[in-house]
Amino acid sequence: MSEYAIGVFTNIGLISFIALSAYLLLIAGEMSFGQQGFFGVGAYVAGVATAMYGIPLPVAALLAMAAGAAAAFLVGLPTLRLRGLYFAMATLAAAEMLRIVFELIHFQREVEGEPVGPDGTQGFRGIRWVFEAGIEPQDFLAIVWASLALALAMFVIVERSRLGATLRMLGEDPELARSLGIQVERFKLGIAAAAGALAGLGGALYAHHNTYIEPRNFDIMLGVHSLAYALIGGLGTVFGPLLGVLIDIGLLEGSRVFQGYRMIVFGGLVAVLLVFRPRGLLDERFVHRLRHRMFRQT
Amino acid sequence: MFFDLIQNTLDGLAMGSSYALLAVGFTLIFGVLRRVNLSYGPAIMFGGYCATWVHLNFQAGLLALAIITIAGAVLAGAYVERLCFAPHRQGSAIAAMVASFALWMQFEEAVTLVMPSHVYDFPAMYDGPPFEFGSLTLRMEALVMLACAVAISYGLHRVLSGSRFGLAVRAVIDSPVAAQLAGIDVPRVLLQVFLLASSIGGLAGYLIVSTHTQITPMLGMWSTLKGLLAMMIGGLGSLPGAVAGGLVLGVLEAHSQWFLGPQSRDLLAFLLLFGLLAVRPYGLWRASSAEAEA
Amino acid sequence: MRVIFLAFLLLAAAPAIAQRVQADIDCKPAKGLMTYDCVIRLSRGGKPLEGVEVSVGADMPSMPMAHNVKPVKAAPGPKPGEYRARLELEMSGEWAVKLRLSGAVRDQIIVKRNFD
Repeated sequence: MSEYAIGVFTNIGLISFIALSAYLLLIAGEMSFGQQGFFGVGAYVAGVATAMYGIPLPVAALLAMAAGAAAAFLVGLPTLRLRGLYFAMATLAAAEMLRIVFELIHFQREVEGEPVGPDGTQGFRGIRWVFEAGIEPQDFLAIVWASLALALAMFVIVERSRLGATLRMLGEDPELARSLGIQVERFKLGIAAAAGALAGLGGALYAHHNTYIEPRNFDIMLGVHSLAYALIGGLGTVFGPLLGVLIDIGLLEGSRVFQGYRMIVFGGLVAVLLVFRPRGLLDERFVHRLRHRMFRQT
Repeated sequence: MFFDLIQNTLDGLAMGSSYALLAVGFTLIFGVLRRVNLSYGPAIMFGGYCATWVHLNFQAGLLALAIITIAGAVLAGAYVERLCFAPHRQGSAIAAMVASFALWMQFEEAVTLVMPSHVYDFPAMYDGPPFEFGSLTLRMEALVMLACAVAISYGLHRVLSGSRFGLAVRAVIDSPVAAQLAGIDVPRVLLQVFLLASSIGGLAGYLIVSTHTQITPMLGMWSTLKGLLAMMIGGLGSLPGAVAGGLVLGVLEAHSQWFLGPQSRDLLAFLLLFGLLAVRPYGLWRASSAEAEA
Repeated sequence: MRVIFLAFLLLAAAPAIAQRVQADIDCKPAKGLMTYDCVIRLSRGGKPLEGVEVSVGADMPSMPMAHNVKPVKAAPGPKPGEYRARLELEMSGEWAVKLRLSGAVRDQIIVKRNFD
């Protein structure tokens, strides 16, 4: 693979984490405009762990997941009882608060005679663990996609279990879920934390891929793109968000046909698609029909 | 110290009056459609760029620039309504919100394609000195904006409570189904409300860019966020609340900027939004549904 | 096998002690839309860094991962530690230029620049 292809596939893998994170909340009936905040928490936590304290990346990634989950839990606690638009706005406010907190953090430490650590709006340089470990770009690509495959496998297992059915019921009819004795608030908090952990893991990998992060990386643009990926790809299956990422980054960006006005094409595509398929290309009905057909053939 | 407090408050009111104007248009859309239009600010920015383009290429007076800004914002608003809000009228508020964001990206890229520099100059509305009371100063433009905000919210109140159009709007707010049965063309009323709100946004946009004497693509996000915040503080769906919310936000920001710095100012504004949503999700001075006129 | 090796690498990697590479980049508009000729100066411990392979990419700080600028190889310039590359960007604004070093030194350095 060429260096360019490796870069594109690594980016597709990385951005899929936050798209999946948005998807998980969407199927539970909540739309978050704030997953980019938890992606940022993961990036900063993992960066601090490896670059400042020499902790190996796998351990740092676990720390980032824990931090992402904790942050999402704390944000969810007072906001998950809010309905639709209000929850969306509250998560947006939370993510912007996190971004400004990143701007305010100046926390550095001498490593090998040079200051390393988050330096406010100047960003956080020198997250070089991957280079110091001698990991080649194609190996890092493998790490990203192996982690993503693990996450996808977990989604597939959960969606086939009772847990998955409960999740979808929660999204479609929370009152029904409540009447069946499901503790809706608690359940949603758990989902929010899981989505936060997923975003945190993506952030940790992103920080190490890029070696440099800054608060602006985690602004509203990233969050809304992740939502758009999940929504255009489809809410019927976990491969929907991936399809969304592939359409934008792979097809529109990668092909370079629309260079210079890709946002106009992508924006229009999203708006028009939402008119005809408000739950995306691979929506529940499509997935159901597909399963049905496959079942009949075998 | 005391002097600073008063001067900050005045500066805050000046800034807040532009927030108030933005919030009035935002509130009109939210109050009637119960939808959040994230493209509200970007449509305003689009209008501002239309006027800037005319200003750069032709000789145009201030009034012409104001009219072009408003016309551009209304045009952009109509596009947003047709593509993001009309199709989702009975469907998901969330889909409408995401679609309106998708168009935001279009506006931003369209504007930077035609005018790629980061900043453009915009002619000032007023070049003279600010008002002075002793050693306190208040910018002239702020007074114009405040007057516009109050006049527009009062005018809207009159239109909504007195005219045939207002009656139709109130009927749609109460129950779109009943309004339809009573022979009101609901989609048309919603489009009219949207265009009215866009024109208010366009006016706000003109006043803001001519006060700052420059325009950047950031104006889109800025207008949406400030309008949204002021609307939240003012109690969703109340027009006088929107004006008050804008002023409160402006004063709060001015003081926190002075004492804590610009980042803490933004942090505080978002904290306020978050706190309000968590504690009082339906606005600070929640208007009962009978009072929520727009 | 490769996976096991990778997993081992991930857990056991020890940071190599080496001085950080400093980078400076100077870009001028060239012929063509959003095309720039860039001069990159690399140094380590105050001395020019020679004989490394430099690949130059770019990403936008506000919307990371979504712009895949094709990385280009930089050619060594006339002076020691100098490298030249032609960058083709997608839009104006602030870019995080990504210098990926390989060969004698393995590292990645990000330099932020405004491209108007």
